[in-house]
Amino acid sequence: MTGYHRARRLLLAALTPVFVLGLAACSDVPNTIFGAHSEFGHEIDSLTYRLLILGGLVFVLVEGLLIFVLIKFRARPGNPEPKQTHGNTTLEVTWTLIPAVILAFIAVPTIKTIFKTQAPAPANALQVEVIGHQWWWEFRYPQYQVVTANELYLPVGRTINFHLKTNDVIHSFWIPQLGGKRDLVSNRTNYLWFTPDSSYAWNGFCAEYCGASHSNMRFKVFTVSPQQFEAYIAHQKTGPAFAAAGAPVPGADTSKKGAASPAGQVAAAAPTTPAPAAEGADGIWPRDRVPKWLIPETPTPAGLTISTVNGDPARGAQLFKTGACIGCHTIQGVSPGVIGPNLTHVGSRYTIAGGLYPNDMKHLALWIKDAPAMKPGSIMPAMGKGLPHAMGAYDDQQIADIAAYLSSLK
Amino acid sequence: MATTVAAPPFAGTKRKYESGLWSWLATTDHKRIGQLYLYTALTWFLVGGLEAAIIRTQLYGPNGRVVSAETYNQLFTMHGLSMIFLAIMPLSAAFFNFLIPLQIGARDVAFPRLNAFSYWVFLFGSLVLNASWLFHAAPNGGWFGYAPLSTPQFSPGLNMDFYVVGLQILGVSTLAAGFNFVTTVINMRAPGMHFMRMPVFTWAAFVTQFLIILSFPIITVAITFLLFDRFFGTNFYEISAGADPLLWQHLFWLFGHPEVYILVLPAFGLVSEVLPTFSRKPLFGYPVMVYSLILIAFLGFGVWAHHMFAVGMGPVADSIFGITTMLIAIPTGVKIFNWLGTMWGGSLRFTTACMFAIGLVGLFTIGGISGVMHSSPPSDLQQTDSYFIVAHFHYVLFGGSMMGLFAGIYYYFPKMTGRLMSETLGKWHFWLTFIGMNLTFFPMHFAGLDGMPRRIWSYDNNQGWNLDNHLSTIGAYILVVATAIFVVNLLRSRKSGQRAGNDPWGAPTIEWSIPSPPPEYNFARIPTVTSRYPMWDAKAPHLTSGVPHSKEGEKEITVSMAGKPTGHISTPSDVEMNAEDVHPSAESLGIHMPTPTIKPMVAAFALTIPFIGLMWHKSLPVILLGAVFFAVTLYAWLLTPVEPEH
Repeated sequence: MTGYHRARRLLLAALTPVFVLGLAACSDVPNTIFGAHSEFGHEIDSLTYRLLILGGLVFVLVEGLLIFVLIKFRARPGNPEPKQTHGNTTLEVTWTLIPAVILAFIAVPTIKTIFKTQAPAPANALQVEVIGHQWWWEFRYPQYQVVTANELYLPVGRTINFHLKTNDVIHSFWIPQLGGKRDLVSNRTNYLWFTPDSSYAWNGFCAEYCGASHSNMRFKVFTVSPQQFEAYIAHQKTGPAFAAAGAPVPGADTSKKGAASPAGQVAAAAPTTPAPAAEGADGIWPRDRVPKWLIPETPTPAGLTISTVNGDPARGAQLFKTGACIGCHTIQGVSPGVIGPNLTHVGSRYTIAGGLYPNDMKHLALWIKDAPAMKPGSIMPAMGKGLPHAMGAYDDQQIADIAAYLSSLK
Repeated sequence: MATTVAAPPFAGTKRKYESGLWSWLATTDHKRIGQLYLYTALTWFLVGGLEAAIIRTQLYGPNGRVVSAETYNQLFTMHGLSMIFLAIMPLSAAFFNFLIPLQIGARDVAFPRLNAFSYWVFLFGSLVLNASWLFHAAPNGGWFGYAPLSTPQFSPGLNMDFYVVGLQILGVSTLAAGFNFVTTVINMRAPGMHFMRMPVFTWAAFVTQFLIILSFPIITVAITFLLFDRFFGTNFYEISAGADPLLWQHLFWLFGHPEVYILVLPAFGLVSEVLPTFSRKPLFGYPVMVYSLILIAFLGFGVWAHHMFAVGMGPVADSIFGITTMLIAIPTGVKIFNWLGTMWGGSLRFTTACMFAIGLVGLFTIGGISGVMHSSPPSDLQQTDSYFIVAHFHYVLFGGSMMGLFAGIYYYFPKMTGRLMSETLGKWHFWLTFIGMNLTFFPMHFAGLDGMPRRIWSYDNNQGWNLDNHLSTIGAYILVVATAIFVVNLLRSRKSGQRAGNDPWGAPTIEWSIPSPPPEYNFARIPTVTSRYPMWDAKAPHLTSGVPHSKEGEKEITVSMAGKPTGHISTPSDVEMNAEDVHPSAESLGIHMPTPTIKPMVAAFALTIPFIGLMWHKSLPVILLGAVFFAVTLYAWLLTPVEPEH
């Protein structure tokens, strides 16, 4: 009888660390796959719970049996030779059939869920194109002609149909809290749809190894109310908030709505201190509701410094327009480059460099100065004067000016 | 029954091979080649472990900066390649070489020189692959080398050249060995060694060779395409020319999933040898164990796309591959239950070998359960490419393959060297490995379920992954200590371990009937086998009363002993006496053994030269020179007489 008791004690001892770890894992885990916030996520969750319960049962049964056997049948001095068995057909058929039955309980809901979640998206879905780049994300709203990067706004309660494409190698689009991942495969378009059911901010990741900065290809997702989403889209359709003096901004959209935008007026009047738009007017997720785990804490490279972060946006605008920046970056009405992220509203984002650094003057300036040092493998060349392989030759003041200009693009 | 480990001083040391470096370079003896595989593979296991330790140090805390992102990517790629191709597969090969002829009652493998060639190609291939470190250009595209990241457009450096060339060379070695072992098992079994009497390790090895023969050509084709893309500008995977990168994924996993079974079935085989011995019971359900091996191997070819549930194959393909993956859990579960059935009612002796074998049963089960979890495609979309997968396959490959291989090493070391490994150090090794392994890999389940992607060089603070990673790194350091103890044990026991005698464990199969280490000809007279457990028939017949025997010879068991060409043994005491026997030379017994020759080694070296020429700016003279050198060596090899001239 003591064998039984010891077995149970040992089993408990073995399982305790598992539970402790599990509990530790439950606190403060912003990216957990459990308790997802879309119908797609719920479908997966219910399957995963079923798998965990059945798997847990098998685990306890098999490991319990193993521990029991080890205690009960250990050799003791003076033991007679064991009674011989070399097989038992009934028993063997039984333990072939039991797993088969367990698997049937998994297979049936699995197939149902596969066909349900991979059905074509509802016709009225919001279409969002996701384009992977080494190592950042481009998001397009073709129904609204809006292009943005690395931060994605989605309306709560409306199904979003993602068209997943890549500009180069294979990436994978994953927002753990909103559902499963789907790969972005070269020369193909994949689809994934879900309907967010609550308003919050989420972390997204590239989940397929894609080269040097795979770990630095992150993005942020904000699920917002339909009204706020409309405001966001309306604001994104406008031109850049900062319009440099004497540079009329072409584009019908921009001239019409940009002029009406309060941010644009303020910025034009006092370029150095653009007043923030009224709370919610631009649809941007309010700063005081940004969870702390959304803002990256990535350290900057040792030895990379900037002597000033006080720049003049007007001078910065001039430098941007006359420099190498325009070759790669679009700012609506200013430059047409498409190699790097669209910067039209870069000042309204919380992060830069594929979610790797917070979007503030210091990080922006350091990024412009030496992007390859800030992010391994970055295709954006260093712009700081005297740096190896630098494409530009800007001194720290000029870099601060450009950073100030970009920050003003709310 | 007293199966004594006791070994009176081993007076006679007339049992001697030739020794010295030359004898190792020119050897065609399967036992020596097995040991070459063993020590080479263990060396790469240490290298792969060092790579893992650096990886874990980098990931100990958030935003680690121990190594650069580029170095990290090379480290995790090489860790995978080292452990799969340079450690676990050749460790299995060490046992194939050493054990298959001994277990089936043969004097050597079917093609002893091809066998030597396989080893040397493996050695040179592994050196070429690791030479990449000297150029700071180790492969960096993951062991899975996904196109288009591995194409020249996205990986212009030497890194993936080393991958292509290294794997191509290693593939030659594996395939040559595969054909060799299949031929050996089919043709060279001793009289009476019917298929259904073969030891289960030989069965596992036999099935594994079919997996190799059927799956390695696929990776060879996939890599040849990549080689042509990289060196000759073809467009198999070139996306700018319209290639579909899923071609690589399908080819790779059509090889890659059978490869998982290539890695784990030999370990299953070893455990199936160890558990009956230390339970003092025949293997429970031998036929079912054999059928489940075959079924696992067969189904293993039909599940490859479960590595690709996120690539968008569509609901029909997802469903089919989900179901086939679930099905494969059934024969695997049967194996676990039959091992439990073997131990049930037994008299378990917890030697180190037995503990590692039990470790496999307990830990592989965890890997199996998490495997079923991602057989469900929708659920897998939250698991694939996360740390949950890293946890899963380390439970399969460390908890499964390595635990089984360690069991095999402790169990067969006495047969290889004539000496036992220290049980005290062995127990330390086991417990530290068991604790370290679980501490390293169990928290990875939580990291994965908490959204941590795989293959990331660093992660941010405040993501909820810090504790999991702290624990994993501490566990990895415990594994480093455990492995150091193992190495000390291995080296010390080789020189000064306790003498083992023929049969230190009281084991049932015929390799234990001959001296340890065996003479070069293995069996002085080829044994006639009358049941699955000839040694128990001789020494403890009550243990085999239930298993089928030959109709004739049921009374008199004819296991011929090496030292006694005429000897029919019928009593245990004969066997014990035999342990101290000094055995005669092959010549005096009239046994012709193949002449040693260095030509297989030279041919293996010549084979690598064209590949090196390819990487060296596609130097045509080097490639041609290598090819001619290879042809000449092969010609000389074929003209070398098989036996000494009389």
